[in-house]
Amino acid sequence: MNNASEKSDYLLLFRGADWHRGLSPDEIQKTMTVWMGWFNRLVEEGRCKGGQSLGPDSKVVSGKMKNVVDGPYAEAKESVAGYFLLTVGSLEEATEIAKECPTLGYGTTVEVRPLLARCAASEMAATKPATVHA
Amino acid sequence: MSSASTKSEYLLLFRNTDCLATLSAEEIKKVMVEWVAWSDRLIAEGRAKANRALGRTGKIVSGKDRNITDGPFAEAKEAVAGYFLVEVADLDEALAIARECPTLSCGATVEVRPMPKECPAHQLAAATLREIDGFFGRQSVPESSAVGAVSTI
Repeated sequence: MNNASEKSDYLLLFRGADWHRGLSPDEIQKTMTVWMGWFNRLVEEGRCKGGQSLGPDSKVVSGKMKNVVDGPYAEAKESVAGYFLLTVGSLEEATEIAKECPTLGYGTTVEVRPLLARCAASEMAATKPATVHA
Repeated sequence: MSSASTKSEYLLLFRNTDCLATLSAEEIKKVMVEWVAWSDRLIAEGRAKANRALGRTGKIVSGKDRNITDGPFAEAKEAVAGYFLVEVADLDEALAIARECPTLSCGATVEVRPMPKECPAHQLAAATLREIDGFFGRQSVPESSAVGAVSTI
């Protein structure tokens, strides 16, 4: 998947969608411009492969009975509000990028998670039996 | 982003997939075979566009001081463990896929989230300004804006 074999994929998960509350329209506009500049720069540098905000409407499915309830999974402050998919050299580099998030001072939290190279199923298949036998 | 304009993207976020560890080795194998078949079918049908698992570790960055702590964000059972990016007709179809998840029976949960078609910044800016309008009881559309989509509101 990667041209540069020493690079890995990381996911930045943003939480805290209500960062704009309490800011003036000018401040929000300015912050949005900084956000776009940040995102565009990461894409141009080849370090960000994509990003998306998630809509607030959602459903959560759980249990044997496949119950469906209105989501999101966590309360607003802790719900995933969006993500960036990064391709960088290390967890440290991904974390440095997370530190550049323009709304950190307004309540946004950024979770940095490595993405496993293999698909979810094969990864789980490979790790589960070991877990069980341990 | 999407070639089929009538379709929408949804993100399925999986949690507590480690619940598999509570099953017997035989049951695990059965569920895994189901999972692979499920995933392969969705991809073959063109309904799943990406399918990734997240490593268990990570970092959390928060606050003005950009504090860094070890992640993930939530306790293991509630941490995001993986995701599917699906492209389907509507939320109901995404939900139907989520309900097929083979690890639901042992305790996994699947969160289904819509993905707005506009880029994140445009979407956020638009939502923000609409809320501001309501909050201040006026129209607040900046004349000169670097965020192009704002002018269309």
